[in-house]
Amino acid sequence: MASSTQSSSIGRGTVVRGRVQGSGDLEIAGHVEGDVAIEGDVSVDTTGLVGSDITASRIVVRGAVRGDLTAGESIHVENGGRVVGDLRAPRIAIAAGGLVRGHVQTGGATPAARPRAAAAAASVPAPRTRETPAVAPSRPAKKAPPPPPSKAKSTTNHKTPARANLASRIGPPAPIVPVLKKGTKAVQKKK
Amino acid sequence: MASTVIGAGITIDGEVTSDEDVIVAGTVRGKLVAKDAVTVEHGGAVEADIAGGPVSVAGTVTGNISSHDRVDLQNGARVIGNVKATRITIADGAQFKGNVDMDV
Repeated sequence: MASSTQSSSIGRGTVVRGRVQGSGDLEIAGHVEGDVAIEGDVSVDTTGLVGSDITASRIVVRGAVRGDLTAGESIHVENGGRVVGDLRAPRIAIAAGGLVRGHVQTGGATPAARPRAAAAAASVPAPRTRETPAVAPSRPAKKAPPPPPSKAKSTTNHKTPARANLASRIGPPAPIVPVLKKGTKAVQKKK
Repeated sequence: MASTVIGAGITIDGEVTSDEDVIVAGTVRGKLVAKDAVTVEHGGAVEADIAGGPVSVAGTVTGNISSHDRVDLQNGARVIGNVKATRITIADGAQFKGNVDMDV
């Protein structure tokens, strides 16, 4: 009879190119190039390199991960750990010396939290469009439609894309007009 | 001494390449290449070609086994595939279907 709480390990000299999934705990000291979906704890050792997403209940990173970390319980990035990717867990701890580059989100993805997360995502693209006006025309057009329920936030979004559109000279603010028609009462300044 | 242990609840769909021992108690589908010993424990299932050093099978292997050392099929082993090795033992109770090439 196999116990599902068996602990597995991918040794230092091992390279796995493929999907790893299952139950139990997993310790990665080698190289994994494929999604990791484990029901237990995943610990990436100092010599561990993971090139894709990790989904587990608890994740501890002491090595390098290039991919999103999604945990049901907690994520710990220890000293020496490097993560390039998003972190999503109810509890996230980044120790001194840990390096993280990506979106960090605590609080679960319950339906009640989703409008808050959408509003948070809507407020994040606004500063980005100011910094990179060349990329702005595609981003505001895609991100402005998702938060129509929050009217206050959508008005601020319309003002920055208008400025960005004029800066990149794509044309008259015609792409924004359909978004205005969706129920917002913003008055567009005609320049 | 480090070794790679693929536990009973773990399934790997892809290639596993290792330069150390590999113990499979879970499922590996794809390819398994090791420089050292490969042990397929009872309950382990390997649907892949195995290449390595000494190979000891007590579980299920569906694929060719190629070793530059010895291959041991224990009681309870189920191997469907060709075996290429310099030494081979098939224990009483092991099930085996395939060719054996001992480079004679």
